[in-house]
Amino acid sequence: MSLLKRIIFCLHYKEGYFYLSRNFRLQKVGDVDWLIRNFGFGKATNYVDEIIIILVKKQPSDSDFGNFFKDILKLRKNLFIPITLGGGIRNYEISERFFKNGADKILINTLAFKDKEIIEKIASAYGSQAICIMIDHKKINNEIKLYSYCGTKLEKITIEEHLKNLNALSCGEIILNSIDNDGNAAGIDLSILDKVRGSINKPILVMGGAGKPEHLSSA
Amino acid sequence: MITKKTKICIVDYGFGNIASIENALGYLKFDYSSQKIPKDLDNFSHIILPGVGSFEAGMGKLNELGWETNIKNFVKKGGYLFGICLGMQLLFKHGTDEKTDQIIEGLGFFEGKCKKFFQNKKTNKLPLPHVGFNEVIHKNTKIWNGIKNSSYFYFIHSYRIYFSENSYDCARTIYGEEFISFIEKSKVFGSQFHPEKSHLTGLNLIQNFCNLQ
Repeated sequence: MSLLKRIIFCLHYKEGYFYLSRNFRLQKVGDVDWLIRNFGFGKATNYVDEIIIILVKKQPSDSDFGNFFKDILKLRKNLFIPITLGGGIRNYEISERFFKNGADKILINTLAFKDKEIIEKIASAYGSQAICIMIDHKKINNEIKLYSYCGTKLEKITIEEHLKNLNALSCGEIILNSIDNDGNAAGIDLSILDKVRGSINKPILVMGGAGKPEHLSSA
Repeated sequence: MITKKTKICIVDYGFGNIASIENALGYLKFDYSSQKIPKDLDNFSHIILPGVGSFEAGMGKLNELGWETNIKNFVKKGGYLFGICLGMQLLFKHGTDEKTDQIIEGLGFFEGKCKKFFQNKKTNKLPLPHVGFNEVIHKNTKIWNGIKNSSYFYFIHSYRIYFSENSYDCARTIYGEEFISFIEKSKVFGSQFHPEKSHLTGLNLIQNFCNLQ
């Protein structure tokens, strides 16, 4: 008797279409109606525990957010699992829009390197449990490097330091997203867990590379 | 007894994902309405009190908007009440402030005190918040009709009401320690987990609550 492992399905969104990500390159799946019709949303989601949807756009405009939320609204109608939404959350006001449009949790990546005060402000309004921090990482010469801005900007801080900062921050969960393994279905890099376990006492999720049931059971 | 037509009021006091509960009630084809301030509660048969976040802030808002007295009167008059997550914690007599550890008064339907997990930090090192699907061991009361014992529900919280012997029909869950994951007494119910985020099992529980009369 214990807490179950969770399987979380992650989709990306850009200009009216949903995408799967492969090594940070997007593969189009379909628009919201296609998704509801063919992915069997409401049915398929009976087999995953949570869903994450990320708006992919470097500087999302007001209408980018508007279109995103409009499609999310349609999608979540028959979705009875936790929904995490993210992408382009650069200030408090944008985070408010995400929560008002049905996010149970929001996903923060870039902001966690830049402005911890905004994250604290969001946490004081919506609770620390509503904030997931995603860390995009990639191995270069066998060293783990961290990236922000959709994997485009290399950050100088080490993963250990970053996690130490996050441990003191009001956030609920940490998602380690491997850029190397993203969407390759070749297996999840679990070795990173050994590296981080000592640095943080928050729930950790590992993302990237799940392709077979064995990949999940080994986690 | 005259049975009132089922109509559900969702307390929209700014804490928690109201839309998820609206979606669930809509999906189950119940008549519902979300209210920011209490109005014409006599027209309703059931109240759902959602919520995430801090006990102090939540209670403060219920007071400010006039919900506290209205909810108490509603229950006195025989209405059904269901608190979810923070909404359940607020049904208890006491909560604790996150920073000062000061005692805060709740709605007081149940005896008990809401505190952070793992008061004994030396023995427990599980990550917080407690998040994910965990097992709920229930007492097979009417509201659990059709739901297997030890079913899994979605939790996300760092505060809990420690499980100890009491006179209520409680369900319990274990995360490093045993805590109350569901409580009921007469017409007042509370779940620490989110039934609206717990697949079809959760919808089943919401349906059972709304069908009580």
